[in-house]
Amino acid sequence: MRIGRVLGGMVAGALLLATAGCGGSDSLEDTGSGDSTGSADKGSVTVGGQDFTESQIMAAIYQKVLENAGYTVQTKLVTTRDVYLPELSKGSVDIVPDYLAGLTDFLNSEANGADAPLVSSHDPDATLQALKPLAEAKGISILPPSDATDQNAFFVTKDFADQNDLTTLSDFAAMHQPIKLGAPPDCEGRSDCAGGLTKTYGFDIKEIVPLDFASAQVKDAVKKGEVQLGETGTTDGTLEDLGLVLLDDDKGIQPAQNLTPAVNSDFIDANPDLEDVFNQLSAALTTEDLADMNVQVDLERKKPEDVAQQFLEDKGLL
Amino acid sequence: MLGDVFSYLTDGSNWSGSTGIGTFMVQQLLLTVTALLIAMVLGLPLALYLGHRHHGGTLAVNVTNVGRAVPVFAVLLVLALGPVGSEQFGPYGRAGLATLIALVLFALPPIITNAYVGVVEVDPGAVEAARGMGMNGAKVFSSVELPLAMPVVMTGVRVALVQVWATATIAALVAGPGLGRIITRGFANHRTYEVVAGAVLVALGALVLEATMALVQRYADPMRRARVSVTRSSPTAVGGPR
Repeated sequence: MRIGRVLGGMVAGALLLATAGCGGSDSLEDTGSGDSTGSADKGSVTVGGQDFTESQIMAAIYQKVLENAGYTVQTKLVTTRDVYLPELSKGSVDIVPDYLAGLTDFLNSEANGADAPLVSSHDPDATLQALKPLAEAKGISILPPSDATDQNAFFVTKDFADQNDLTTLSDFAAMHQPIKLGAPPDCEGRSDCAGGLTKTYGFDIKEIVPLDFASAQVKDAVKKGEVQLGETGTTDGTLEDLGLVLLDDDKGIQPAQNLTPAVNSDFIDANPDLEDVFNQLSAALTTEDLADMNVQVDLERKKPEDVAQQFLEDKGLL
Repeated sequence: MLGDVFSYLTDGSNWSGSTGIGTFMVQQLLLTVTALLIAMVLGLPLALYLGHRHHGGTLAVNVTNVGRAVPVFAVLLVLALGPVGSEQFGPYGRAGLATLIALVLFALPPIITNAYVGVVEVDPGAVEAARGMGMNGAKVFSSVELPLAMPVVMTGVRVALVQVWATATIAALVAGPGLGRIITRGFANHRTYEVVAGAVLVALGALVLEATMALVQRYADPMRRARVSVTRSSPTAVGGPR
C-alpha cells in the first residue's frame, strides 16, 4: 500500500509537470523569430492564432510561406478567438489560420447576439457566403478555404467496420442496433452530436457515456467494446494505429470547419500578391496532412516549425 | 431555481433507467459501504495491534497521512487508465473497481489514525491495574483497552464513512459510478437545477449516514452498557432523586 501510494504520487507529480509544460502563454508575447530569410524585404507581418497543436502547425506553415515570399514575420498565439479577433480587425495581427464555421459562428453571435440562429452549415460554400459579409464588417477578408477540415467525427473499431461493411454513419444506423455512445457530457441533444445522430441518422442511442472528446478514455472504451461509437476530430491521426476508423458524416450534421486564412482587409489590399501564395497552400493542404502533422507533433514530439518545414518541402511550396 | 430542483427530484422518470438517480444512488451506497468495510478489515487489526504494543504507530499514521496528500482523482485516473481498467464491475458500475480501490485508500487514514491513537491514549493506570489483576496481553486488550478506546475508534470509522460517501462523487470524472454523474451531467448541459439536485442528494445522504453511524456508535459503545448496568444495579437509581 505504501509503495502504491508513493508510486501514485510520483505519477501524479509527473502528470502535473506535463500539464504545466503544455500550458503555453496566454499573453500576446512573441513566439516567432523576427529574422527574415526572403530576398527583398517586403515589410513585416504578424501571424496570429490559437495556441493548440494544429493551430501552432498552421501558424508555422503561414510563417514559413510568408518568409519565403520575402516578409519579416512575427507569430503571436493566444488561447481564444476573442483575444486575437479584435487584433486582426484593427490590424495589429495581419493573418490568422482559422476554421470556417467556428469563425462564422463567432462573428455571427458577436454581430447578432448569442441566441442568433446559426448561419454556418455542413456546406462550406454556403458557410463562406454567410461569413464574408460578417467578416467584411469587421475589416477582415476571407481567402478561399482549403478542403482540409477539422470537424467532429465518430469512429468505430476497424474490425467492426470491416465485418459489417461500414463506411458511413448511415451504414451503421441502418443496422438498427441500439448503441452506447462515448462522447463529451454536453453531447446530449446537440445537433452535431447525439441530437443529430438520432434525428438525422436514426440511431437508437440507449446511453451516452460521458468521455471527453478525442481522449484516450473514449478510444479505450470503443476498443474494448464498452461503447460502439466514439467522438473525435477528423484530424485525429492516432486512430489508425489503435485499430479505429472514422465513419463518414454522409448526411452532414457537422458544420464545415475548413481551414481558412482570415486576413486584415487593409493588409491584403496592400499586398495583393499574397492571395496567390495562400491559395496555393490551401489547395495543397488535405485533412490527412493535418492528421499526420498532429501526430508528428503530439506523439513524436517534433517541433511545429520542423513539421511545417517538411510539409512545405514535400509539397514543393518553398 | 429551487422549484426546478424540486420538480427534477420529484419526477419519477429522472430516477429510473441505467443513468437515473436510482442507479447512481445504489452504486454510490454500495461503493461507500464496501470501501469502508475493506478499509476497516485492512486498517483496524493493524492499527489496534500497534496501539496495544505502543509501537510502530507513528510510522503507520504518517504513512497513511501521506495518502491524504495524494489527490484521490490522480489515483483514480491512474487506476482507470492503467492496470485496473474502467470495465463494468458488477453492480458497482463502470470503472467500479478502480473507484473502489481509490476510495479504500482514501478511507484508511482516519480509520488507522483514530484506532491507533484511541488505544494508545487509554489511561495507563487502567492498563496497569488490569495487568496487576493478572490479565494477560490479550485479555487486557479485549477487556480494558478496546472498550475504553471504542468511542475514538468508531469516530474514525464515522469520519471515514462520511468522507468516502462525499468523495465517491469524484468517480464521475472518469465516467464512473455514483451521484457525481448527475452533477457533471447538469454542469455540462447548463442545467444548474440538476447540479444542485445532485449536490442536495449527496448532502442528504451524508446526513443520513452520519445519523445512522451515530446510532450504531451509541449502541456499539461497550462503556455505555457498562454505565447502564451499573445504574440499574445501583439501589439509589431505583428511587432516584426527582
